[in-house]
Amino acid sequence: MKQAVEHSNLELVELRIPARPEWVALARLAVATVANRVHFSLEEIEDVKLAAAEACAAVIQHDRHGEFIDLTCEALENALRVRVRDSGRQGVAVAAGAPMNFDEARIAGLGIFLIRTLMDEVTYDVNPQAGTDLFMVKRLAGATDN
Amino acid sequence: MHERDEARRDRERTRALFARFIERRRRAEAPEKPDPEHERLRDELVVVHLNLVRFLAVRFANRGEPLDDLVQVGTVGLLKAIDRFELERGVEFTTYATPTIVGEIKRYFRDKGWAVKVPRRLQELNLAVNRASDKLAIALGRSPTVTELAEHLHAGEDEILEAQELGQAYNLLSLDSEVSGENDKKSQTLADTVGVADSGLELLEDRANLERAFTALTGRERVIIYLRFYESVSQTEIAKRLNVSQMHVSRLQAKALEKLRAVLVE
Repeated sequence: MKQAVEHSNLELVELRIPARPEWVALARLAVATVANRVHFSLEEIEDVKLAAAEACAAVIQHDRHGEFIDLTCEALENALRVRVRDSGRQGVAVAAGAPMNFDEARIAGLGIFLIRTLMDEVTYDVNPQAGTDLFMVKRLAGATDN
Repeated sequence: MHERDEARRDRERTRALFARFIERRRRAEAPEKPDPEHERLRDELVVVHLNLVRFLAVRFANRGEPLDDLVQVGTVGLLKAIDRFELERGVEFTTYATPTIVGEIKRYFRDKGWAVKVPRRLQELNLAVNRASDKLAIALGRSPTVTELAEHLHAGEDEILEAQELGQAYNLLSLDSEVSGENDKKSQTLADTVGVADSGLELLEDRANLERAFTALTGRERVIIYLRFYESVSQTEIAKRLNVSQMHVSRLQAKALEKLRAVLVE
């Protein structure tokens, strides 16, 4: 997260979609388009699309999710940053409680394991009040320290 | 809350199973005789984690290989992970196994020439969408909806949209390029126009074939086919331009289509 911030934004796309499965395809397309700007290979683009879809699914599966998913995709010089946020939670009854560990909450089921495998950097924050906030980065091959 | 308890119990069960398995595995490392208990525990671990393999395989199933094959190679990855996992790593087995399973699935794609497969899959789906949409348009008397197309092609609606969008990136072939329609009529493709004239020509699928077929035509026949199907010029108009009768154009067109069909059905 820290080092990626230092790069200037080449391109930034923000998308708000209803938090419903039929809109996930649009998220996939948006991410694919931005990933293509970073010149990822087809395989990498498929991976990024898959990761984004899983992140959206994670939000949707959360039984207290909000009305929308906010997707932010940034094309950097040699990396792609994607943020998937649960939003529009006004009026959604939420139980108070301690922040949950992502795995414990099981909101993504197995999806989070897949996301971690496909992306180079994954951080997330899940709590009953603010919903899911997942941030992930994929670096261009060669730009990785491996 | 209930779900969280269940998840914790699952994890504890898995850890206990692994503890027993790893003990057996260590003993089996000096294999004088096979240890049935080691095998049994290994099998049990495989069964317990098959849903993970399946979950992952399904995610890759849209990349053009059968799901069963992916589950199979994924299971190979699972076995590798089971044989290498150590409890001291302090990570959950699922965290450890996922990259191994995904790695195995991806390697399978690479061995299968995956890099060419993706564009081909998109191309194929894109071509199928184009063909089906015109077929349905004729059947329905209107442009089909994405839902109808998805049903017709046994594909997801998102796949249809994606193929349509991304297909353009691959410069799809002239056969499916649009032929401008007369007036406000829905535009058609050359393949479909020919298909309407003779449904036996549905097999028109790729440019190479069509180009090959065109070499069988005389110059005049080619001009007629071009004007008629690419430019949507009427037979009467073509007749005027070529200074022959409309009947003659009609005969030449029929002959040209006959030739095309003969070459294409070979």
